[in-house]
Amino acid sequence: MQVVMPQLGETVAEGTVTAWRKQVGERVEAGEALFDVSTDKVETEVPAPASGVLTAILVSAGTTVKVGAALATIGEAAEARAAPDERLSPVVRKLLAEHGLQASEIKGTGADGRITRRDVLDHVERHKSAAPAADERRPLGPIRKRTAEQMALSWRTIPHVLQAVEVDFYAVESARTAHGLTYLPFVARAVCEAIASFPLVNASLDGDALVVHRRVHLGIAVDLGADGLIVPVVKDAAARSLPDLAHAIEELAGKARARKLRPDDVSEGTYTISNSGRFGTLLTAPIILPPQVAILSLDSVTKKPVVEGESMAVRPVGILAQSFDHRAFDGAYSAAFLRRLKEIIEGKDWSAALTTASG
Amino acid sequence: MAELTYREAVAAGIAQEMERDERVVFLGEDVGAAGGVFKSTVGLLERFGPVRVRDTPISEQAIIGAAMGAAMTGLRPIAEIMFSDFFAVCWDMIANEIAKARYMSAGQMSLPLVIRTANGAGSRFGAQHSQSVENWAMAVPGLKVVAPSTPADVKGLLAAAVRDPDPVIFFEHKGLYATKGEVPDGELVDCLGTAKVLRQGSDVTLVALAAMVPRALQAASRLQNEHGISATVVDLRSLVPLDTRTLLAETGKTGRLYTVEENPRLCGWGAEIASIVAEEGFYDLDGPVVRITTPHVPLPAADALEDNAVPTVERIVRTVVRTAG
Amino acid sequence: MPTETGNDIDRSTRLALYRSQLEIRLLEKRAYDLFLQNLVKGTSHLSLGQEAVAAGFAVAMRKDDYTYCTYRGHAHTLARGAPMVGVLGELMGRSIGLMRGKGGSMHLTSVEHGAMGSYAIVGANLPVAAGAAWSAQLRGTGQVAVCFFGDGATNIGAFHEALNLAAVWKLPAIFVCENNLYMEYTPIRSVTAVEHPAADRARAYGLDPVIVDGNDADAVYRVARASIARARQGGGPSLIEAKTYRHSGHSRADPGKYRPAGELEEWMKRDPLALYRKRLLDLDFGEAPLKDIEKAAQHAVDEATEAAKASPPAPLEEIERDVWDDGGSSWRN
Repeated sequence: MQVVMPQLGETVAEGTVTAWRKQVGERVEAGEALFDVSTDKVETEVPAPASGVLTAILVSAGTTVKVGAALATIGEAAEARAAPDERLSPVVRKLLAEHGLQASEIKGTGADGRITRRDVLDHVERHKSAAPAADERRPLGPIRKRTAEQMALSWRTIPHVLQAVEVDFYAVESARTAHGLTYLPFVARAVCEAIASFPLVNASLDGDALVVHRRVHLGIAVDLGADGLIVPVVKDAAARSLPDLAHAIEELAGKARARKLRPDDVSEGTYTISNSGRFGTLLTAPIILPPQVAILSLDSVTKKPVVEGESMAVRPVGILAQSFDHRAFDGAYSAAFLRRLKEIIEGKDWSAALTTASG
Repeated sequence: MAELTYREAVAAGIAQEMERDERVVFLGEDVGAAGGVFKSTVGLLERFGPVRVRDTPISEQAIIGAAMGAAMTGLRPIAEIMFSDFFAVCWDMIANEIAKARYMSAGQMSLPLVIRTANGAGSRFGAQHSQSVENWAMAVPGLKVVAPSTPADVKGLLAAAVRDPDPVIFFEHKGLYATKGEVPDGELVDCLGTAKVLRQGSDVTLVALAAMVPRALQAASRLQNEHGISATVVDLRSLVPLDTRTLLAETGKTGRLYTVEENPRLCGWGAEIASIVAEEGFYDLDGPVVRITTPHVPLPAADALEDNAVPTVERIVRTVVRTAG
Repeated sequence: MPTETGNDIDRSTRLALYRSQLEIRLLEKRAYDLFLQNLVKGTSHLSLGQEAVAAGFAVAMRKDDYTYCTYRGHAHTLARGAPMVGVLGELMGRSIGLMRGKGGSMHLTSVEHGAMGSYAIVGANLPVAAGAAWSAQLRGTGQVAVCFFGDGATNIGAFHEALNLAAVWKLPAIFVCENNLYMEYTPIRSVTAVEHPAADRARAYGLDPVIVDGNDADAVYRVARASIARARQGGGPSLIEAKTYRHSGHSRADPGKYRPAGELEEWMKRDPLALYRKRLLDLDFGEAPLKDIEKAAQHAVDEATEAAKASPPAPLEEIERDVWDDGGSSWRN
């Protein structure tokens, strides 16, 4: 039967089909919305006048026609579908194979129930989001791998002992802030001076001998974020003034972050400082870098109440912790080194050190 | 940018090349003084003079032969054959001589010529003045074949054809001469052998040429709005060289290929396209390749007959809807 | 007809005419032998007996003039200076062939020598020659195009179209009909409405009819010289009918049995080569220069034969080469 443009008002002579609600081939029921129409008086939806199958659309959306003009045809329901179309197209076969699926798992929405490409892809999509997320496997980068090997070797072969002292950084503070430096160069300078009194911490075990290094090549551990750790070395740190040391540390750290370090820059370290200050930690037990025999961790320096004489003061306090190789020396030696370190940091004239060439 | 008609773009393209290269010459029947029977070469005689723009007798073999002789001796001729149906009159010159001269001479002969012609139906001229014969040219090794659908493509592809060192058959569509389109200002040179994706869809791919392109676009619109079928439309633009890469890629994205061809059914250009896709894109196909063509009949003259012989927007839509499931 | 012996043709030109005809004769005979030895395949159309036309025009032409001939084109191609080894090599499908085996006997081409193709479709070369003449006219170079075709071509459409266009545009084209009395196997007079298939059509194009004894190289040379000069000076095209005869059949496959008894013998008495040799002796050239030419020509043909035989067959890669300017044959990406 024909579907025509209805008279939607006494004086309305024409109407515009604005949208079709059904597609050709779709079943429609009498009274079900078939299309939307717009006239100068009203916008409304028009129901199908009969049940059946929409066999043809004669007027496309957006067309204006006179009242009574033919718009579409509704025919008899199509004959009952033949047996479902079980044929698989080349791309469907390919996708089933690729995803390890059987045709029987997929619901076909194509003509005669055929499984279409879209059907397979939709199935894959649905099941992908339903499945629990698989564990992610992240291959290790080269720096991570190298660090892992070194750490494991160190831990396996070196009997580590950790000792710590609490240090008052008051003496450092004003000089530090006046020159915009971190605590690190001060600790580095103090370490060099303490090593002068306790040279065994600046040594290497070589078989059954301890090689005590005359010069201090100070390694400064730099965190490269996702890329891991690298330890550039300030050569001859003990011979450098504090400003020089600060500058050298800054430069090496910059090069490290820019990935511009050369092999020379990371070799021949004799003692290492690991600066965890900005991570906010209290205490770290660092792992020694063989063939060195000790490593110092500088953690966060924060204002704490301390006892001074008989009263209390608020001072910048931080823990310096040294891991040492117990094959090289004993706790008493290490402790003495740490006490000396503390003395230097707490007692040195740091302002003077910063302004003189030999400070 | 300027809006030009398809016919204005023809003259503009020829003029651009004749201006640029003094070796470019132009000959044909009524092309000079009369500006062409389709008024597609207006102004060229006035601008370039009677030495480089020549009106010829009704002598298709002589016209094409002259173009061939001129091309092999240092000129870059553009020859017009008024109606593409007339290729049959000078087919020896085109298919036996021009197409084969370089090959038979092992590269000694160079024929940088363009034969432009008015192709296609819609003007009620009857069976001998309305054919689409681009498939004839496609079937002959040694000929490049171009069929633009817009004014910008006309100008750019004509320029490319003139600059191409090989023989190019340039099929203008007489039914498109009055259509308008934006053409960029300044020198315009397109690239032979490149198809254009004019509309990106996800359910079916329609590949069309010349006057079938606007119909495919209209059909795509209706398919989307009335049937929720999302169609890609590819304007092939060149049959030789053929942009098989775009063809296979766009067919691969949807899995369904439809060709929309004005030529008669048998051995139409779409048969070659379908064959290539069936062979090289087989495992991407989600359904049979369907060709929508004029039936295998000479074209009738009466307007209602002619209009319905050639693929209509309605027929394209109905065919896709019926077979896309 | 102009006098047979005249001093309007100088000695060196006459020697050149003799040499050209002789080389053609010897090469064509060699081609025939090679065919019998199954070294030349397919078919070939020999110019035995028609040497004077090719030689007469070639000697009159400028190096940059254009020659268009038919499938019976060995003579014309050779006469323009194409190497013998290239011609024989092409006939034998060898790499050294003028077209590396791609064209074969019917399509001999040497653009370098102005031999702009041998055309196997009867009549096709006339419109193309007109085009080359148009090009020369447009470029103002003074070049001319000389187009050779047989009597049969005068009845095909392209003949008419080309002559008309050349006449209307006053093109520097010389159309030379080599009337050897037979259109393939059929006497030309039985299928042509007029007696002289080319000359009797000239007036239809506003041209003067010109008939020349195609077996007399001097006569041909004179006509060639005059028509070429006329064309070069802007005087327009000429249509020339050269009466001649072919000694063999139409092609290899044809023993020529359709010819009436005695006809061949009559024409052999007017063998152009024998005729010309006698004339040169009558003109007191003496045997010596003639013998030198004969020896050299034979030697050249022999050398070319050996070189062509030694050349390898065209490689299979040639199949897909030279459809396009880029040397390839690709139609897709």
